[in-house]
Amino acid sequence: MFQDAAAALRALAGQGYIASPEIGTAVFLAQQLEKPVLVEGPAGVGKTELAKAIAAATGRELIRLQCYEGLDEAKALYEWEYSKQLLYTQILKEKFTELMAGATTLSEAAERVAAQDNVFFSDRFIVPRPLLQAITAREPTLLLIDEVDKSDPEFEAFLLEILSDFQVSVPEIGTFTARQRPLVFLTSNDTRELSDALKRRCLHLFIDYPDAVLEQRILAARVPGIAERLRARVADFMQKLRALDLKKTPSISETLDWARALLVLNADDLSPALVDGTLNVLLKYEVDIRKARRELANLLRTENAESIAPGAEAAPLASP
Amino acid sequence: MQVRLIEFVDLLRRGGVRVSTAEVVDAAEALTAVSLEERSGVRAALRATLVKRNSDRNIFEELFDLYWSSFQGALHEAFQAAPFSEDGAALEALLRQLQPAEGPRPLSAIPPLSELARALWDADLGALEAAIRAAGERAGVGRIESFLQVGFFTRLLMEQLGAAETGRELLAAAVALRRAGLGDAEAEALAAFVQERLEALRRSVRSYVERQLQQRQRDAVAQFRRRALLERSFYTLTEEDVRELRGAVAQLAERIRNALSLRRKREKRGRLDLHHTLRKNLSHGGVPFELAFKRRVRDRPKVVILCDVSSSVANVSRFMLQFAYSLQDAFTKIRSFVFVADIGEVTPLFQRDEINAAIERALEGGDVINPYTRSDFGAAFYQFWREYLAAVDKRTTVIVLGDARNNYNDPRAWCLEEIRSKAKNVLWLNPENPAAWGFGDSAMDRYRPFCDRAVECRNVKQLAEFVDELLL
Repeated sequence: MFQDAAAALRALAGQGYIASPEIGTAVFLAQQLEKPVLVEGPAGVGKTELAKAIAAATGRELIRLQCYEGLDEAKALYEWEYSKQLLYTQILKEKFTELMAGATTLSEAAERVAAQDNVFFSDRFIVPRPLLQAITAREPTLLLIDEVDKSDPEFEAFLLEILSDFQVSVPEIGTFTARQRPLVFLTSNDTRELSDALKRRCLHLFIDYPDAVLEQRILAARVPGIAERLRARVADFMQKLRALDLKKTPSISETLDWARALLVLNADDLSPALVDGTLNVLLKYEVDIRKARRELANLLRTENAESIAPGAEAAPLASP
Repeated sequence: MQVRLIEFVDLLRRGGVRVSTAEVVDAAEALTAVSLEERSGVRAALRATLVKRNSDRNIFEELFDLYWSSFQGALHEAFQAAPFSEDGAALEALLRQLQPAEGPRPLSAIPPLSELARALWDADLGALEAAIRAAGERAGVGRIESFLQVGFFTRLLMEQLGAAETGRELLAAAVALRRAGLGDAEAEALAAFVQERLEALRRSVRSYVERQLQQRQRDAVAQFRRRALLERSFYTLTEEDVRELRGAVAQLAERIRNALSLRRKREKRGRLDLHHTLRKNLSHGGVPFELAFKRRVRDRPKVVILCDVSSSVANVSRFMLQFAYSLQDAFTKIRSFVFVADIGEVTPLFQRDEINAAIERALEGGDVINPYTRSDFGAAFYQFWREYLAAVDKRTTVIVLGDARNNYNDPRAWCLEEIRSKAKNVLWLNPENPAAWGFGDSAMDRYRPFCDRAVECRNVKQLAEFVDELLL
């Protein structure tokens, strides 16, 4: 458990997740208020990673529910294993005949079958899906409901119910109540506006593209081999690239991919030729790549090289 | 703190942010969990608990600065400028500083100070802030309406605070200190210090009043804009409005899409299809392992849009195209044509370019027509009938956007009749008031008999309703 927001930040940093203070506060509040957190932001800024890092930092088991169009309760909560039940009836045919042996009337036989009901509607035949898993888990868990905006509005309404009291009733068995309250994180790419009811129940965290300083720190943590000077150049380049009006603005995940690519290419500085050759790592649309090529000279210009590359003297171009 | 939180929430609500009571409770709880000393922490806590829509984030930031930061910032600044205030020098410390050699001076030399005077002397910003707010409440500063009243309310607040008495009190204290054996230079410095503090107080009060005025003006404006923008007539939109509306239309389109997916889901849920189930499970010896359900299929509309792009109706066309192309997956096929006097197809534009750029280019004629001519609906329909009639079949809905102001050209309504006879239906959206249809050079009365529906479409709201109905 985190003492305060700063402790949360430190713990996340320990997992290699460098976050802004705002994120630290939200995580800390989620724990204090026992509320789910709705994390929104553009694709690739580390929404899912955040949940994973928290799970790792707190030692909670991560249970992930990936949402998609058409996701329903059977896939999210629990399902009766229909084919297994059928299989059992087929195998146990003899046993049933035995059971029916003494029955004289049809209703008596039906009565006997009914008495065996709970054999088929028991824990044995239930398949717990992520939501039920999170509720019935003995150890503290972290439930990650990923890309909740991809699910249908009806599913959202259903989630509301679960998130408000953390209990699930299975008509044939009874009610499962959470032994411990899982930490819940919902992520959304903002492809559609979620319902106000859901938002009201959650804390809201918007993760935006990082600023240059934060991006440098993230690079340092995630791509350890990269030289300080190159790191500064990459972060600066990314900031300028994001200012362009692109179809898909590159995010942190793309920055990291690119930095790794540069590392493999043994680069120690950004040259136009190098950037030109590796742009396809950053940008996924042909129009965007064309646009970036046109602007390349502007993107690569550094007005004040000293301030952008602090400590460049200390580590003079030490390419690993 | 609670009072201030509620005040802030009230401000947010007036700014158009929806905040529920449960969220306020959350916010109050969150504030107990974070350190109130750190502004960024408070900001993050409030943002996480109160602001749930991304579109509201900017309003929140603005109002937060307005309500919390800038006043305290101003207070800080005002008192930073006054001397002796570094490291919050308390009265006792000041005394020691003034009289280092002669040992501790009995504090009784100074008459006991009132609360405000003490806060002022110690630069206790928290206490000062509370006092100013309380005085503001009493003076009814929330009523302020114009910049001209700033001076008046500043004086009123100073009176409420009892600033004059406080000043006298402080000067008396300075005199008392002098009598107690303070050097001339120090005494002068002390008097100057008191004056500075009073001036700082006055500046703070003034900035508080100014902020109140800003708050009132700001939310009045924001509120008005929000409500009005969707209902503003297309004829009066400025470029700024268009930019803002583009976002609003994108959201509306998203909402329609959601409703659509829900409708479709409901349709899908059919009854058990016995035939299909049996066939499917033959391999399991007829035991129904896998079930099959009947599905009702609804065909999605096929749409041909004819957009008048002459300057008078360009905005209707702009947003209609935006709707059409953001909801693309709701249609089987969309073909878009633009016309002024000639007609040309702009569908390829949308396949090639990004949506906003494509719309802008389409409105400029999209390289297929000359937009700088006078509207001639007759000629456009005739050309469509001659060249593109194949685009229309019995499943196609034809949507015409235009004001039917034909510059007294031949309306050639028979072309529209021909088009209608081939199409599923013809819908006409006219940004003019129905009362004006058919008057002057409007040929609307000639075209109307050949439209299945002709509706007024004066603003984005009406347009959204139309699109929603179309897809129903």
